[in-house]
Amino acid sequence: MSQVIAILILPLFLAVGIAAAALLDRAVPAMLGGRSQNGIMQMPLATAAAMAIAQRSETEHPDQINWMLGPVLYFTLAAVGLSVVPFSRSLVPVDLDVGIVLWGACESLTVVAVFLHGWSANSPLPLIGAYRYVAIGLPAMLLSMFVLIGTALPAQSLGVVDIVEAQRTIWNVVRQPAGLVLFLMLGLSISLRGPFDYADPFDLSGGTDAEVSGTARLTWWLARLAMLASVSAMTATVFLGGYLGPILPGFVWLAVKTGVVLVVLIFAGEMFARMPPARMMGLIWLALLPLSFLMLLAVGLELLLWG
Amino acid sequence: MAVSFLKSYARVAQVPVFVAIGPFMRDAVEDLFRDQQLVRANSIRHASILLVAGSLRDSDGEDIRRLHDQMPHPRATIWWNADPDDGLADPLIVDGKTDPKPIMIATFQDLIDARRPSEADLLPDEPPNPWQGEGDYGQGGKGMMGGNPYGRPMAMTDDDLRDGLALDAYTAPFGPFLPMMPPGLQVSLTLQGDVIQSAKVIRSPFAQIDNAAPNVGELRQLARFLRVLGLEPLADRCMDIAHDACMGKPTDAAPLRKLLRWSGARFAVPLGLGKLVDTDVRSRFETWLDAIDSVAHLEKAPPRAPSKAATHRLVDLLKGLEWNEAVLVINSFDSKALIAISPVEDDDGGAHEGDSHTSHSANSEHAHSMHGDGASSG
Repeated sequence: MSQVIAILILPLFLAVGIAAAALLDRAVPAMLGGRSQNGIMQMPLATAAAMAIAQRSETEHPDQINWMLGPVLYFTLAAVGLSVVPFSRSLVPVDLDVGIVLWGACESLTVVAVFLHGWSANSPLPLIGAYRYVAIGLPAMLLSMFVLIGTALPAQSLGVVDIVEAQRTIWNVVRQPAGLVLFLMLGLSISLRGPFDYADPFDLSGGTDAEVSGTARLTWWLARLAMLASVSAMTATVFLGGYLGPILPGFVWLAVKTGVVLVVLIFAGEMFARMPPARMMGLIWLALLPLSFLMLLAVGLELLLWG
Repeated sequence: MAVSFLKSYARVAQVPVFVAIGPFMRDAVEDLFRDQQLVRANSIRHASILLVAGSLRDSDGEDIRRLHDQMPHPRATIWWNADPDDGLADPLIVDGKTDPKPIMIATFQDLIDARRPSEADLLPDEPPNPWQGEGDYGQGGKGMMGGNPYGRPMAMTDDDLRDGLALDAYTAPFGPFLPMMPPGLQVSLTLQGDVIQSAKVIRSPFAQIDNAAPNVGELRQLARFLRVLGLEPLADRCMDIAHDACMGKPTDAAPLRKLLRWSGARFAVPLGLGKLVDTDVRSRFETWLDAIDSVAHLEKAPPRAPSKAATHRLVDLLKGLEWNEAVLVINSFDSKALIAISPVEDDDGGAHEGDSHTSHSANSEHAHSMHGDGASSG
């Protein structure tokens, strides 16, 4: 019964997450840019309505099926990834013993969804965005695997509920703060934001999104927001104790923590510069991946020595 | 019901405008977008209004028509200080002294409410070049490779400049109205993956206003560069400071300087990129950062050594660079320096200075071949 309730809560949580992400995505850049916040509340809905009214674009000989499937797959991955996040100890839409493995699979398949979106348009700039994202996305996913295993070690389980329960004494953010930073970087990467947005950036006229308009663009926009909400919820769960917290119900704590991560991700996306892909590749392979491995080693040693 | 609900919200949305900027109009256009009722579209596919600002070259007419037809319905074109295309039945013309902003907003709302009809296509809905296929699959070459279908060279495996990984190299024109490139610049690039194998200038960038007020030109250039680095909000702040400096208003530039320090912008630019004699992209970027300090102290930035850029060619700088690096290099030059290093090349390899108001026939086949293709989305 509790699983049925959790499954019913899931779309609601995702919808609220998308709305919050859309709103913050306006408010945070406006604040950083020193611009007015007037009318910010209605702007996401107005933007969505304008996109819905616009005509869908056609390019020359696109791969129509995959062009349509890309955004749908991306949105689905966000929803499936979120399904392993527990709203409370007993409220879990999909309570798997290997929950973070399913999350990891969703992360990895994001690369496929983004690639399809860029490749299918049959146009140079989206195509460059597509394979550029694959080049950066793959090492970023590796990074995430090490970090997630580091959060699973204290729980001695790959189940997400177990990982949350293992944080009753100490949150994983205290145990491995650098792990949180690395996971946030992954969040930026899979939600195509700021310094890790190599798929849809300005220098490619919107990249994989450059040839898209109308409802197709609206779907892609919603999918990106859904992924942002989803990765925020997962970050809150594996590093900030998820549903754990005093007095208030678990799902309220999860929502609050997810909101905090959402703000941090959007802020980081607007605040930090994006470097050329080759430079970013060097940074990931030569610095961030070794760091993630060292973090994993440190957590392992800590558990061995002090259990 | 649902449609009227959508329309009621859509009419208060930011007006998505794609801009084709002509000579001496860049600053004026950028100032338009300081208003939050407008949003500058990165791609023509994201726009409802095409703003043509300034007199364009004869050779740009075809690009404008292609851009127009790629814009999704409902759509309208506004000609600000520009001559409208003959194919439009009811062109919206705004003279150079009138602010086009209220007209753009009203036009967008009229389009949403269907009070103004969406503009029809200017070009026939057919391939811009004939099908020249000959091979087994009609692609014009041997087997699955080669040929020139629809006038566009087919991607062919070629040696790579960087790591020897042989990928399909393809050639396409980029510009002249891509938002991340200076207005007017059109280059033909042969890309392998995202690495530029060769480049050729088809049309030079347009000349732009030389700001008389101290530091304004540098700040505007910095803002454009920050957008390429993905720092949109900081670019907005920088543009505001440039505008205030232009008006002679006192401004507090210290918060921007602090935010830029934290943004890692300097670290994001590789050392030695786009090296020209004694400067590279990073040092040129640092020069603009000095302009922020100078604005904060109400003084003019220290004079720089005269540029020796004119002895070099942009196409040589771009060769071997990855796309993002190339865009950084292009945006690291001011308008004058870029025009000096971007002479239009004839087919025989000879170079001549680009003339803002003359037609160039070089590579017109490429330019015509991209109807419906992203490379021409600017």
